Amino acid sequence: MLKATLRSFLAHKGRLALSALAVILSVAFVAGSLIFSDTVTRTFDRLFASTAADVTVQPKQLDLRSARVSGSVQTLPAALRDRVARVDGVAAARAEVSVQNAVVVDGRNRSVGPTTGAPTIALAWYVTHRSPVKLTSGHAPHGAGEALLDADTAGKKHVRVGDTLTVEAQPGTFRVRVVGIATFTTTNPGAALVFLDPAVAGRELLGSPAKATSIAVDAAKGVSDTELKQRVGRAVGTGTYDLKTANEQAKSAAASLGTFLDVIKYVMLGFAGVALLVGVFLIVNTFSMLIAQRTRELGLLRALGADRRQVRRSVLTEALLLGLVGSTLGLAAGIGLALGLIRLMSAFGMNLKATEMVIGWGTPVAAYVVGVGVTFVAAYLPARRAAAVSPMAALADAEVAGVGKPLRTRAIAGAVIGVVGAAALAGCATATKTAQAASLLGVGVALTLIATVVAGPLLVRPVIRVLGAAFPALFGPVGLMSQRNALRNPRRTGATAAALMVGLALVGGMSVASASMSASFDRQIDKTLGADFIVQNTNFTPFTRQVRDTVARTPGVGLVVEQRLTQVAVRLPNGGRITTAAAAYGPRLDDVVHLTYARGGSAAALADGHLAMDADFARDHGVRVGSVLPVEFPGGRHTELTVAALTKQETAEGFGAQGGLYFGLATLEKYGPQAQDAALYVNAAPGTAPQDLRPRLQRALGSFPQVQVRNQSDYKKLVHDQIAVLLYLVYALLGLAIVIAVLGVVNTLALSVVERTREIGLLRAIGLGRRQLRRMIRLESVVIAVFGAVLGLALGLVWGVCMQQVLALRGLTALAFPWTTIVAVVIGSAVVGVVAALLPALRASRLNVLAAIAHE
Amino acid sequence: MSTPAAQHAPDGAVAARARALTKAYGSGETAVIALDSVDVDIARGRFTAVMGPSGSGKSTLMHCLAGLDTVSAGQVWLGGTEITGLRERELTRLRRDRIGFMFQSFNLIPTLTAAENITLPMDIAGRKPDPLWLDQVIDTLGLRDRLTHRPAQLSGGQQQRVACARALASRPELIFADEPTGNLDSRAGLEVLGFLREAVDDLGQTVVMVTHDPGAAAHSDLVLFLADGRIVDDMERPTAEAVLERMKRFDVVRDRLGDDDGTARED
Repeated sequence: MLKATLRSFLAHKGRLALSALAVILSVAFVAGSLIFSDTVTRTFDRLFASTAADVTVQPKQLDLRSARVSGSVQTLPAALRDRVARVDGVAAARAEVSVQNAVVVDGRNRSVGPTTGAPTIALAWYVTHRSPVKLTSGHAPHGAGEALLDADTAGKKHVRVGDTLTVEAQPGTFRVRVVGIATFTTTNPGAALVFLDPAVAGRELLGSPAKATSIAVDAAKGVSDTELKQRVGRAVGTGTYDLKTANEQAKSAAASLGTFLDVIKYVMLGFAGVALLVGVFLIVNTFSMLIAQRTRELGLLRALGADRRQVRRSVLTEALLLGLVGSTLGLAAGIGLALGLIRLMSAFGMNLKATEMVIGWGTPVAAYVVGVGVTFVAAYLPARRAAAVSPMAALADAEVAGVGKPLRTRAIAGAVIGVVGAAALAGCATATKTAQAASLLGVGVALTLIATVVAGPLLVRPVIRVLGAAFPALFGPVGLMSQRNALRNPRRTGATAAALMVGLALVGGMSVASASMSASFDRQIDKTLGADFIVQNTNFTPFTRQVRDTVARTPGVGLVVEQRLTQVAVRLPNGGRITTAAAAYGPRLDDVVHLTYARGGSAAALADGHLAMDADFARDHGVRVGSVLPVEFPGGRHTELTVAALTKQETAEGFGAQGGLYFGLATLEKYGPQAQDAALYVNAAPGTAPQDLRPRLQRALGSFPQVQVRNQSDYKKLVHDQIAVLLYLVYALLGLAIVIAVLGVVNTLALSVVERTREIGLLRAIGLGRRQLRRMIRLESVVIAVFGAVLGLALGLVWGVCMQQVLALRGLTALAFPWTTIVAVVIGSAVVGVVAALLPALRASRLNVLAAIAHE
Repeated sequence: MSTPAAQHAPDGAVAARARALTKAYGSGETAVIALDSVDVDIARGRFTAVMGPSGSGKSTLMHCLAGLDTVSAGQVWLGGTEITGLRERELTRLRRDRIGFMFQSFNLIPTLTAAENITLPMDIAGRKPDPLWLDQVIDTLGLRDRLTHRPAQLSGGQQQRVACARALASRPELIFADEPTGNLDSRAGLEVLGFLREAVDDLGQTVVMVTHDPGAAAHSDLVLFLADGRIVDDMERPTAEAVLERMKRFDVVRDRLGDDDGTARED
């Protein structure tokens, strides 16, 4: 029996190859993402572990992200170094100064910082055995006006020793001459590094020589890191400062890098998921067809005495072989994919070494579990069907085989699941709580998808009758035959189209949701944004106050309102404590933003010691106008703020903010004085046209390449672009789904051509030309593909409307349909059909007429 | 070489003609000669049967005459057109417009109704069938009440009648029937042969039928006997008994030769 199985596997290797490709693709994405993230994690773990000091003393932090939000830097007294140095067991202590809120600009007003989102770090130059860089040319910086630049940045931005750079730091802007180049001895994580003399770094970067950002401590011989941490902790007080050993420091550094890596990992796993989902259809289809094709052979086996279990096992063994081959090749492809990603990261400035690729034991395990598991599961149903073949099938006419039993079971199952799914979606559309609506949406999407897949074959007849109705008129008998051929085996047509359907349903849903999001944001921007211009950093990080001064000095500027962000912790009357981002605005807010208040107004909200809050959030947490809330700012400053206004905001939540909190700039100046501007709202002075002011502003801000001047339509475009990024990802997923779906269509058509060999021979004998034959197969393919697309889009549109209902609960109330996308997808699916038919049609048209007629 | 058959038909009354028609499979030492320099004229308006033992080349002869197969050497004409040397597309056109086909089995496209099958060659060509002729053919074959049926809903005999109607529908110059009764019981077979006879006598068609059944051959006007790739004999106004007698002589020859002919192109 095993011999028969192996023979059959080899005999059908062409058809199995298509299924194997689906397995290979999904395994490759799984393995590739694992290898990549393992490699990056190992590299950075090593980097951070080798560069972290034995013990690091840092200011207590409210939240890790606080500095990024507000642009402020938490400091500790530089004098603490001396206290630490006196602790027994300390070999050396350094007052480190290192900030990420500075912008470094070259002589031609271009930022030398990385454009990838990696930070620019300005820091004090110390030479230690742990330093990740060493001086490779020039000399160390001495005093103000001298700096070192890392070699990678210098190379990329063409900066040479002797060039002058402008550093825009929080205390003020200063110029430095590059006196040397420092080269990474370890992996460069992609950041740009500017080193200053430690003697001046505190003053230049933190505004005072008495400040530092951390104290790095080296242990004396024989003192462990943990022991040293305890001793230093006793000396400086653990309530005021955070102390970390080298290991702990490396871990937290790696964790902050981890979020970025997680994104890549999830994207890759998303691709793997789509490949798997669509691949399952392909595998089920392939095995079903192989079995339909071999019904007589299986019947003969059964007639000769093979029992059901043996037949089933034989099919499953074939699946196992396919899974093993697919997983092995997929694993290899995954290594290639990881290599490609590592190269790509290098192009973005993160210099990973491909030679240090890490393949953990988990990677092959995951690859084989995924590959073999999925193949096995997908082949199980066909295997059962194979076992159900009766010995009588050996005697029956092969032509009848595979058309199968009536579809009543499918009809009932599909209808029941469909009704439950539709009910869930209806529930989602009418739900009022976001969490409830989202979970109903998930259930509804899953159930309606299953229902459509199950009932797909039933929809083949009515839908394809309509889709292909014009074929006979347009293409004559060729059109008629292609339409009838597509209807010939609804089960097979349905299963083939299902792969395409799944992909297009996802895209349909996502594109409706994103079009609705764009429309909602547009409406909101129209409604709330009153300023002529917004000045913002390209990556939304805060910027130096000189930008504000420059804008204010520009002739024709009438009003500048600053927006600053800060992290705050608020204790609520109902006992809860939330940590959230809050905003602070300068006076005359109403002139630049249109806010709707339930109680109070901007004047009250921005007054000293006051606070505004979203009305719904306030109601949910028992806050009223007049409530006094304890608020904690970064750096440990505490105060109490009085709620003076309640707002009606459409999108109070999201983007890491809760409750829509804001207060006056004066309040923030008092408790978080170092916070930098996050945005400037600018109005032209009366008598100055905004279009005249714009070039002036841009010219004035020439030396601040990090900020951009945007008007309302720029701002809308920015939002659209950000949503588009999400959409591009969805399109990439679609691309993958289509590739696999095309394989499925190729598979089906190839089998149909084999099955209809005699028919094709007959048609050719009585005068059907090769080109007409190819057209017949192409039209059949197109009708299958368009069927899948129409079904998928219909499902996707329903999902999209429901997703929009969930978004509406978050204030994104507009509903928009991306009609051009939808039309493009339908046309694209027809193209997919044409492409998929290329090979099978070619093969059919090359058949020898006589051999085809004589084909058994 | 001139076979007796070549002398039967006067010029102008010839539907198809072959001269020195040779067909070889393979090459060099292993080459098998299926047709060995055959000369043949198919007379217009007659019912010609081609007979011979398995491997004699009778199907190959038909395929070459019908433009289904390429020849190794020699020339073939259909009416006044030389078809040897025509390109694939021209051959397809020729088959579509000027030749009718009936095969032993699997004659019909299963997705099309009987009516659609009958007019298929003309539909492919984009030509309108002659309605009067079509009615005559359909009525002659008794298919009037079967026109909307799919092949699966028809009996074997009915299917062959539809195939026959398709072959006649475009009023071709020549109808080739390859073992048209091979898969039918004797009654249905007789029916089909009767129709082919009628097509020649009443509708003025030209039919060439390949068969190994002496009873079927007896319905023809002329039987050509093939052996080892040559036309070795012919018989006007044959009877089943006479054909059977003639065929038995081949069997004696074959038995002596050991029956090891490898061409076996017929089933």
